[in-house]
Order: sequence, then C-alpha cells, then structure tokens
Amino acid sequence: MNCAGKTIFSFLMLVAPSVVFGDSCASPQVKPSIYTTTEASSSTDTVFIVQFSLTCKGGPSDLTLYADVNGKTVAVTRNDDNVKFPFQVSFSDENKNLPSGTYEVKFYDEDGFANLRKAQRSGESSSSVKSLFSIEVNHPGVWKGPFVSSELVATLVALLVFFSAYTARNSLQSS
Amino acid sequence: MSAKAAKQKNLTKEEELLLQDFSRNVSTKSSALFYGNALIVSAIPIWLFWRIHQMDLYQSGILFVVGTVISTYLVSLAYKNVKFVLKHKVAQKREEAVAREVMKMISDDKKMNKKEKDERILWKKNEVADYEATTFSIFYNNAFYLVLLIVISFYILRNFNPNVNYVFSVGSAAGLLALFSTSTK
Repeated sequence: MNCAGKTIFSFLMLVAPSVVFGDSCASPQVKPSIYTTTEASSSTDTVFIVQFSLTCKGGPSDLTLYADVNGKTVAVTRNDDNVKFPFQVSFSDENKNLPSGTYEVKFYDEDGFANLRKAQRSGESSSSVKSLFSIEVNHPGVWKGPFVSSELVATLVALLVFFSAYTARNSLQSS
Repeated sequence: MSAKAAKQKNLTKEEELLLQDFSRNVSTKSSALFYGNALIVSAIPIWLFWRIHQMDLYQSGILFVVGTVISTYLVSLAYKNVKFVLKHKVAQKREEAVAREVMKMISDDKKMNKKEKDERILWKKNEVADYEATTFSIFYNNAFYLVLLIVISFYILRNFNPNVNYVFSVGSAAGLLALFSTSTK
C-alpha cells in the first residue's frame, strides 16, 4: 500500500509538470512573412508587420501569444480565416526611432508573458525569461526621397539659361 | 500748302525705312512669331499644374484657358518691348559688318549711285537688326518667364492649393515679365 502510494506520488511528480505546462508549445515551427515601411516621403512613422503560421509538436497551436520588441510588449492577434498566416502583430514608431537594422521580436505564451511582466516589475533583466520563439525583422531603413529634389534641378537649369540670356543682353546693350 | 501736304504724304523710300526703324510697330510676320511663341510658353504651365500639381485638365479648363490667354498677351507685350529696346543696339553693332557685306555684293554694279547703295545698306541693316532683336527677345523673355514661373510656383506658393497657385504664379510671372520689359536698361 505504501509502495503503491509512493509509485503514484512519483508518477505524479514526473507527469504532472508536463500536464501543467501541456499548454506550452514544444519545438515550434514558425513561417513568418514580414513587412516594414520602405519610404518616408508619404509617412512619418515606420511600421513593422509580422505575420506568421505556427505549428507545435504535440500541442495546440491556437495559443494566446505576446510579442516583445525593444522592451515594448504587444498582444498578438489571431485570425483563423487567414489560413496561411493566422497570427499577426505590428509595431510602429517614428521613423527616427526605428532606424535600419535587424530587430528581434520575441514571442511568449501566457506563462512566459507573466514571467516577463514579473521580471519587468521587479526590475530584473527580461533576457532571463525564456521566450517561446523569436522572429528576426530585417528593416532596410526608410527612403527619404532623392538627395536633390527635382524642382531644385529645374530651378537651377532655368536660372542657368536665364543667366546666359541676361549676359547676352547686357553685352548687346553695352555699346 | 497743298503741295507741302502732298509732299508730306509721299514719303521717300528712305524716310519710310527710317520710320520703320524707329517705330514700335512690328511687322505681321514678327507679330505672328511673337503671339505663337507667347502662346506656347504660356501653355507650358498647364502641363506643370496638370501632371505635377495634380490639377484636373477638364475641371480647371476655364482657368487654364483664361490664364493662358492673359499670359500670352502679357508675354507678347514683353517680346515687343524688349525687341524695340534691342533693335537699335543691334543695328548699331551690326552696322559696319552689314555695310561691308552689302558693299561687297553690289561693288560690281557700276550703275548704282551712292544714294541707292546707302538705301540698300539701310534696308539690309534694318532687316538684320529686326530679325536678331526678334529672336533674341523671344529667347530672353522665355528664359525669364520660366525662371519666374518655377520659382513662384515651387517655392513662393508651394503651400497654396493648386488653383490659387496657378492663377498667381502665371499671373505674376507674366505681369513681372511685362513690367521688367518696360525698363530700358
């Protein structure tokens, strides 16, 4: 009897954690599709849109996810109608705050997110909290328009032609 | 008295040439040249405001037509004024060369007397000066008009709505052109 109780206890000790964290996604497979703002002449803010599909080995893939980029956390939206990329998350900031470079977007499930918040509250480094997976966003930077505007070129050419006309007129009238 | 009046009416060919030389009137040919060129130059802003400032061609049609007509008149006025100022200067500058060339051409003609030769030179000089002043006036005013237009529409009135921008940039470019053409310096 005692032996049976021990067996059950040790079984629970071994199995229970995997039951409790059974929600978590083991070895996630992510297929991302990323958009970043490319030009600044019609926009003041840079936007990153990350959409992805997620398949988990031996676990549900309809998780509630949270994303973290540069210490900013956002909830990930899920739209099951979008078969190819059901998950989507976006960030935006002014162009100057998001220069070109590679950004790592970390994703957390609910437990991971709770741990992250806890770490942030207590002032610990959030890097100690393990993320479920991460996606790298390669932002090539925004194009701020041509270095010399076309109207400036037009003005300079027109001024040059007028200057030649003016000097020609002066030399005609100088006698 | 009547004889004197008759004499005044019948101007000699030389006198007519001199009058033509100093008159502000332009020949039909150069007048057509002026109006044609002024029309082309005044119509150029339509393209700018249609394609660059995104104005609708049909919706703003009346504005474009009125603007082009007024601008054509003012630009041709400027052509005439600048031509008048330049013509004498050109005539003075080219006098010697024209005289030399005409003399070379008619030197074989022994029958021609001095007066006739002078008349020929004067006529040729007038023609050369007229042609050069006309073409130079067109070139000078076109260049000036386009500079004024570009600077006004792209820099001074850049934040105004395109209709206002068109009216004021074309109006003031043509107006300033006509104003500057009245200066003799």
